[in-house]
Amino acid sequence: PRRYSAMKEYLSELDKETKKALETFYGFSEGKSKVRRSVDDWNRTGSDFFQQIPLLKVEDFSRTATDLHSGQKRKIEGSVFHKDSSIVNSGDSNDIIGFQLCDANNSSECALYTFSSGVNAIQEWYKLHYMNIMAQIPLETKEKLSYSADDLLLTCFFDGLSCDKRHFTRFHHPLHGNCYTFNSGENGTILSTSTGGSEYGLQVVLYIDEADYNPFLVTSTGAKIIVHDQNEYPFIEDIGTEIETAAATSIGMHFTRSRKLSKPYSDCTETGADIPVENLYNKSYSLQICLHSCFQKAMVDSCGCAQYAQPLPTGAEYCNYKKNPNWMYCYYRLHEKFVKEQLGCQQICKDACSFKEWALTTSIAQWPSTVSEDWMLRVLSWDKGQKLNKKLNKTDLANLMVFYKDLNERFISENPANTLVILLSNFGGQLGLWMSCSVVCVIEIVEVFLIDSLSIVLRRQWQKAKKWWHGRQRGSSGKAPQASDPERQSHERQGHDNPTCIDEDLPTFTTALRLPLPQDSPLPRTPPPNYSTLRLETAFTEQLPDTLELGQH
Amino acid sequence: MNLKKYLVRALHRLQKGPGYTYKELLVWYCDNTNTHGPKRIIKEGPKKKLIWFFLTLLFASLVFWQWGILINTYLSYNVTSSLSIGFKTMKFPAVTICNANPFKYSEVKPLLKELDRLIEAALERILQPTPGNSSENLSQPLDLELWNQIPLVLIDEHDKDNPVILDIFETNQTAVGNETALGNETIKKYKLAVKLCSHQGSDNCTYRNFSSAAQAVTEWYILQSTSILSKVPLHERIRMGYQAEDMILACLYGAEPCNYKNFTQIYHPDHGNCYIFNWGMDEEALNSSNPGAEFGLKLILDISQQDYIPYLSSAAGARLMLHQQKSFPFLKDQGIYAMAGTETSIGVLVDELERMGYPYSDCTMNGSDVPVKNLYSQYNTSYSIQACLRSCFQNHMVEICGCGHYMFPLPEGVTYCNNQDNPGWAYCYSSLRSSIKQRQICIDSCKETCNDTQYKMTISMADWPSEASEDWIFHILSYERDMSTNVTLDRNGIIKLNIYFQEYNYRTISESAATTIVWLLSSLGGQFGFWMGGSVLCLIEFGEIIIDSLWITIINVIGWCKGLKQRRARARYPDAPPTVSELVEAHTNLGFQHEAVGAVPGARALPPEPGTPPPNYDSLRVQPLDGLGPDSDTE
Repeated sequence: PRRYSAMKEYLSELDKETKKALETFYGFSEGKSKVRRSVDDWNRTGSDFFQQIPLLKVEDFSRTATDLHSGQKRKIEGSVFHKDSSIVNSGDSNDIIGFQLCDANNSSECALYTFSSGVNAIQEWYKLHYMNIMAQIPLETKEKLSYSADDLLLTCFFDGLSCDKRHFTRFHHPLHGNCYTFNSGENGTILSTSTGGSEYGLQVVLYIDEADYNPFLVTSTGAKIIVHDQNEYPFIEDIGTEIETAAATSIGMHFTRSRKLSKPYSDCTETGADIPVENLYNKSYSLQICLHSCFQKAMVDSCGCAQYAQPLPTGAEYCNYKKNPNWMYCYYRLHEKFVKEQLGCQQICKDACSFKEWALTTSIAQWPSTVSEDWMLRVLSWDKGQKLNKKLNKTDLANLMVFYKDLNERFISENPANTLVILLSNFGGQLGLWMSCSVVCVIEIVEVFLIDSLSIVLRRQWQKAKKWWHGRQRGSSGKAPQASDPERQSHERQGHDNPTCIDEDLPTFTTALRLPLPQDSPLPRTPPPNYSTLRLETAFTEQLPDTLELGQH
Repeated sequence: MNLKKYLVRALHRLQKGPGYTYKELLVWYCDNTNTHGPKRIIKEGPKKKLIWFFLTLLFASLVFWQWGILINTYLSYNVTSSLSIGFKTMKFPAVTICNANPFKYSEVKPLLKELDRLIEAALERILQPTPGNSSENLSQPLDLELWNQIPLVLIDEHDKDNPVILDIFETNQTAVGNETALGNETIKKYKLAVKLCSHQGSDNCTYRNFSSAAQAVTEWYILQSTSILSKVPLHERIRMGYQAEDMILACLYGAEPCNYKNFTQIYHPDHGNCYIFNWGMDEEALNSSNPGAEFGLKLILDISQQDYIPYLSSAAGARLMLHQQKSFPFLKDQGIYAMAGTETSIGVLVDELERMGYPYSDCTMNGSDVPVKNLYSQYNTSYSIQACLRSCFQNHMVEICGCGHYMFPLPEGVTYCNNQDNPGWAYCYSSLRSSIKQRQICIDSCKETCNDTQYKMTISMADWPSEASEDWIFHILSYERDMSTNVTLDRNGIIKLNIYFQEYNYRTISESAATTIVWLLSSLGGQFGFWMGGSVLCLIEFGEIIIDSLWITIINVIGWCKGLKQRRARARYPDAPPTVSELVEAHTNLGFQHEAVGAVPGARALPPEPGTPPPNYDSLRVQPLDGLGPDSDTE
């Protein structure tokens, strides 16, 4: 990730101690010229790093361990975590190496992390300290310490045209240092290619300074690339593709775009706005971003500082041993919880509804070929502007071609199988087929069985109330009813043969029977026929029933 | 006049509709239609009438809205895809194998000798800017004519606004002077560029810039060698390439042995001789009915890296590609590399996409409807979008530059570009290639194929042969090829390939129409039925009413015209005989209604006597009549 030569001043102490540890553990000493330093000397200098996190050699299951630093045996208390539990179970526990993390406030609470191989143990141990150190260095310094675009890129060629470092945008990755994004779209224009094929894609030759690698942090040489969308965050440590040196890697891409339907069809999120986790990355939502942000938030909440590999939430700072002596223990505890899905991050975070995917076909050829090696390296050295006597080595170079295999885009999208329109028409089809019925018919049913029958009941009650009222009036004033008798009769008659009576519903035979007959008329006559043919349509439309009835009262 | 009368009568006879006025018609329609709703408008009291009117209107608009959605859905021609994954006996893909290097250097050396000497001298000058020793190295005078056709130039960018262009050979002195004066630390400021002119010596030149000298040298060399090799006849070029018996050392398909004779030779401009296994041109395509490496194709190749053209291709390996039978292999697009000294295993999954053609998606079944002449049809291969794009480019090239590019097949009666006959071709080609307009035209006119087959490969590599087995393997292979006991092969040239089907060997995505006309009709009917209980017959009824109302309108218009004429006539003769309308008035007794209205107050004054209202028969209904109806009746 970073130039080892430039990082030396920060890491020299750590490296020295790591080498010593290797020496005491395995009897390994780097370089023949180096004189083996005595253990006393080492003890005298006082190793901060080992006091913080002691490396231990676990003897067996009896929970006794040898401290590498002091050589003492000590009893391990607290829980033991095995990173490679399957190996431990096999019973071969003689050479297990691990380190112990203790709660600084409560030293009895310790956790021992063991590894089946010393390689893993030393790397993990080194990484912890590395993160500690890096957290204290400001970002600008870190960017300076890392590779610049000029260093990294030897040649660049895109779509038949030459390109240079201006087409690359830098972003700082906490673990990988400076990374460069081609065609990030940050300066407004997004380059496009109109033809598939290796000539029309991106062709770069990368300079990888193998000699300047940190021996403990990174043990493989090469570059890592990732193909992603312009507004997608590249999680290069998770899904990067490794590029080999001294080879031409050709990566053919096939583009697939997928879109899922959001609620209620599936449980995905369109923009991530409905997820209660703050997006710490300055990019569009993805499941990965959500999980990392969620973990970082939990880290800040419970440990009080932020983990180095992920961006900072507002108002937090990166963990380092000086300020937060407890963070490593806390981090490991939290990480374990996270992996066991106890933090709830996996439940909160949903996958994004639309995503783009580039299927890569990677193949490798030897580069430069034996016959072209000579001139190629010379010309590339000239490009690099190095002194002519220092030729580039072919293991420092990697040729990379990224191109579209074909311009056929595959777009997978979900469509709802049933919409409301379809549901209604199916409903209508069934209703029509079996019952020849429609919504109108349903409304009619409601009308007849609810509204009309209610109004009939109400009218009967009203008539009763009216009768009762008239009866009371007659009782209270004897004359008044006499005087109003003809009036009342005329009204009753009117109510009978007035078309207003039949406004709401046609009087059926039974209702007609119930109507009070005009009893006081001199000649009892049959009521006029009530056929609908006799209805006076003109009167019916002109006369509003309400006004008439009110006028009578 | 008679004719008119006849016409009017005919009209009336035709209009056997249910009424003579719009209102009548409407009432009749509402009463008799099978659509639910309108009946209630006329059958109900005034309050409910209003409710029912709005309900009917609401349902009608709902039906139309839903119909709009349904028709829109139908017209968008959606498709549903069905996916199936599994294993079945399938045709083994055609496998094309090429060497990354097109020709044996030992064979083409006489042709490229001058060019190599030129580039070596140029590199010498660029890399070692001391004037003395570089000229001494040149034993023979260089062929500067070749150089001058497309020269390489150095661009001095110390002064950003005013770059100085230095020709490497001609203005030798100034270039060297500058460099030595400025010293080594600024050496990076120089850039190598290719100078392209429309004619030799003309001022119409462009400089193709490169960020890297290596890139510039390669591009320059490709341009120059293209020009030289395009003059060589095809059979000669095939001879200079790698022969099947030299390249394919061992072949095994399943349990069947095969050899280089099972491969079809094809000349590929980029890679020289390519060999295709199982192309299916002459013989039946081979089937594979078992998954796994044991039943696939196993090959041992030799790419003889020592014989590579040094400046042409810097990557070494075999180029291979899996494709469909009878399709042209576009190795630059879909090919993969296999590295020398390794065993490359390729697990294959056939990924098929079957699309519906027009109007569901814009694709072509066999390319016959694409307006670009497919130049690859001379290989007897099927249409593909790559073939179309390349043919389109070549056609443009022939049109504009007057000659064909070496990398693509030729149309009839055209020759390949070379520096002698077409001095400006490189300039023309370069400007055409970077022209966005040209690309857009080609992209717009070419269509994808409806049936797209992709071979998804899972590639893994291992070192081969192992240290222990190296000796005997090289020995046997050398003996078999060259019949000699000397080892002629080495780690830098030998490649082992395994190509086989994976456990699941196909994934087929096939499309079917999501919305058919049957679907549309049943959905339309469903909607209409759901809201209003209507059917197609109801629509016909509605149409009938519209026709009827049209008749009424025509009759009204005729009546109005007649009235106008009569009024004019009456104005001429004030004592005109009673008009027909007057006669009708007398006849239809309008006074009856007036009397009835007038009788109501009288009846009220009288003692209440419920009298029978006037009968409400249709024939008795009082209608405000216009002049026409009775007119015709009386006549």
